[in-house]
Amino acid sequence: MTPSTLRAPAPRRAPGTAEAPPRRPRGRAPGLTGLYILLVVAAVITLFPIFWLLSGSLMSLEELYSGQSIIPTTFAWENYAAGWIDGNLGLLLVNSLVYSISAVAGTLVCASLAGYALARLEFQGKSIVSAILLAVMIIPAPAMFIAQYKLLVTFGLTDSRAGYIAILIAGGIPMSTLIMRSFFASQPRALEEAGRIDGASSLRIFASIILPLARPGLAAVAVIQGLNVWNEYLMALVLFDTDALMPVQRGLMSFVSSETPQQTVLLAATTISVIPVLIFYLLAQKQIVQGLGSGAVK
Amino acid sequence: MTSATVSAPVATPARRRRGRRRSLTAWLFLLPAAAFVLALTIAPFFQAILMSFQEWDGISMETPWVGLENYAAVMSDSEFWGSMRNVVTFGLAGFFLGNGIAISMALAVNAAPRARAFFRTAFYLPSVFSVVVVGLIFRWLLEPRVGVINTLLESLGLGALAHNWLGDPATAVPAVALTFVWYHWGFAFILFLAGLQDVPKELHEAASLDGALAWGRFRYVTWPHLAPVTSIVSLLTLVAALQIFGTVQVLTNGGPGSHTMVPTLRIYNEAFSSFRYGTAAAMSVLFGGALMALAIFQLWITSRRSGR
Repeated sequence: MTPSTLRAPAPRRAPGTAEAPPRRPRGRAPGLTGLYILLVVAAVITLFPIFWLLSGSLMSLEELYSGQSIIPTTFAWENYAAGWIDGNLGLLLVNSLVYSISAVAGTLVCASLAGYALARLEFQGKSIVSAILLAVMIIPAPAMFIAQYKLLVTFGLTDSRAGYIAILIAGGIPMSTLIMRSFFASQPRALEEAGRIDGASSLRIFASIILPLARPGLAAVAVIQGLNVWNEYLMALVLFDTDALMPVQRGLMSFVSSETPQQTVLLAATTISVIPVLIFYLLAQKQIVQGLGSGAVK
Repeated sequence: MTSATVSAPVATPARRRRGRRRSLTAWLFLLPAAAFVLALTIAPFFQAILMSFQEWDGISMETPWVGLENYAAVMSDSEFWGSMRNVVTFGLAGFFLGNGIAISMALAVNAAPRARAFFRTAFYLPSVFSVVVVGLIFRWLLEPRVGVINTLLESLGLGALAHNWLGDPATAVPAVALTFVWYHWGFAFILFLAGLQDVPKELHEAASLDGALAWGRFRYVTWPHLAPVTSIVSLLTLVAALQIFGTVQVLTNGGPGSHTMVPTLRIYNEAFSSFRYGTAAAMSVLFGGALMALAIFQLWITSRRSGR
């Protein structure tokens, strides 16, 4: 059906395009202005809160509370120094980085192995495993976090790096496995068959032939999971008591509620906590957007 | 698949052994993922159900059986049911307002000849922030004395409208809902935009040649093509709204009173402030069960549609 509907207009398009140019610009010009006004208004509403965070973080306390300026008259960079030191942000950011890298690496290893098995290997119980994977996907965090906490209490892993990382890996596996499975399923079989004829083991084929070709899939999973883990808050709140172990979201909240810093310092600390993710977003935007699509729709 | 189906009917011992060895290899590949998910997702899921019939104070090893007591306590917990009502409000706000904005902006960006990348980047930007950051930003915007919303209203001569937005029960829920919409619509927007870019251009051209106006083209060409995206976006928006936690904790901590309480925060408080883990588990079974029912309903709808 699709080919015919796609082909049908093709012969008719030739006269249509010849006709179109004089009509379109006249009809569209005012519409286009309206379109851009709409887009700009939406962009201003979207970006204003972020601008306001930045602006406030650079004002002196008097200027901030005078409520008279939109842009700081003099930049009070000392807010940033105070936020960095008082909020202990250096340590918190390193913690978040460690958690993100370890959790993403762990998820990638587990999800690529499992995704490959589901896409390419034959075994009994495959359909059951796929069904369980889907079922696990729909278990929401609020249904589990109390029991996860109790489990980690039992093993003495609350308030520990290992416990938190393990929880993050487990949380990332289902969706990442699905993404990797559909990625592997779309790859040609020829190369791995060549490897099999050469007598290489499955693990060998996987490590030396499949994985290097799977880099785009791995990158998509890594950026999505990286963002998820960096922004994770609920389990960090539940598990950590020691300030020195906290990831930045949890530590920032602990700073705000226990130290009650000056508003300007709070805004500066918030801004500092956002900078890494902002850079990451601007650099990896393409993968994030594509990964979102593949993760959500599959 | 081919090798297994071919070897099955012949089934010489050697082939069967090879089949078994292949099965073993596959299970070894699955092992790490299965271990994590079994231990830290599936086991806690059932453990939560068990805990909902027990009592636990968070410290002792004793977890005495209390039958349906926890559920009875939850049934009469008006704060919990009020929190359910709140997240339904947030869900409806996200569903109609958020998705409405998202689909309009996706259409607008898709139609814009220039600066698409800028608008896409800008609209998705809030989604990469953490709940804590979003909560702190909006707490500051909505601050009653010098928050910019009130300052702006005053400078426009609308000082009478200035308000303690998060402190007044009447405006706290809408304020949180709007924060959620601001935070979340970019995600729906990205998915809609991707969906729009998959709509074949030829169909649009054919429709305009047949005399269809913009609305007709949207209604009969774009909208049917977006249907799968729309259903998944709807589900994800609803699930995100129902599970909202951190944003609310930072913005209002459920207040004033418990007017902006949400289920996950209620469960968290029940466990980690009141140390009644059993009741908390009962709440999470009820609430998690409702979320899962919603997801299953969605899957069922989707599979029925694709089955047709």
